[in-house]
Amino acid sequence: MMASLKQINGPVVLDVPTDPASLFLVRCVVKRLSERLAFPGEDGERMVLAVDEACTNIIRHAYGDGEEGRITLTFVVRPNALEIDVRDFGTPTDPGTFKPRDLADVRPGGLGIHFIRSVMDRVDYLAPPDGGTLLKLVKFRSPEEDTEK
Amino acid sequence: MKIGVAERHAGVFVVTLEGEVDMSTSPEVRKALLPLFHDKAAHVVVDLKGVPYIDSSGIATLVEGLQLSKRGGARFTLAGAGRTVEAVFDLAYLKSVFEMVPDVEGLFRGEGKA
Repeated sequence: MMASLKQINGPVVLDVPTDPASLFLVRCVVKRLSERLAFPGEDGERMVLAVDEACTNIIRHAYGDGEEGRITLTFVVRPNALEIDVRDFGTPTDPGTFKPRDLADVRPGGLGIHFIRSVMDRVDYLAPPDGGTLLKLVKFRSPEEDTEK
Repeated sequence: MKIGVAERHAGVFVVTLEGEVDMSTSPEVRKALLPLFHDKAAHVVVDLKGVPYIDSSGIATLVEGLQLSKRGGARFTLAGAGRTVEAVFDLAYLKSVFEMVPDVEGLFRGEGKA
């Protein structure tokens, strides 16, 4: 029987510029939160990768060349899960076009989406009415405890 | 990110990476690594011992290296990947695609005996 995740009252918000140099900071926060919430080490490392990839995709695709944008990450601790909202304010992208690449096809690129989908238990792209894209990521602490699935 | 390139023997290059490889640093890795294949390297080894983290942009750079090595008939080896880095290759189903060895020194010791 696992103990519940240690609660943090209210969401934690991290707002960074769409500068690749800010990725390390996003990774630090995900890593420390996953450790604090007692996720197994491997899950924590994989979550760090998934959130890094989500931000990398935004920097690459959501904003035009040279356009400075923001990424707002909101972390919400649920009793048995960590929810991470990754919000950008760039050009909305059609999630239907996001396809993990054929892994038998060894070529650079296209791995980010595969990583996100492999690691996180829930991956939902939403289009907020005020523009941009909201990517909702959820990681349950263990699959058995995912009662909502 | 620190990147060192050393010609170990004639045509045999070791690229030593130190630091996290992500979207902010992979362009530097690319710039150091890919020209080696155009310079007719026979064998390029990337030492990942000092790399605690790699993401898809780093993996993509190494895949580019692999493709260039195949095109030019050169050997391409990744050495010293730690558990976290290896797990990313695993997640990408790329572990078997690359020649991966535990460390650079072991690789060259093995070659000395051959």
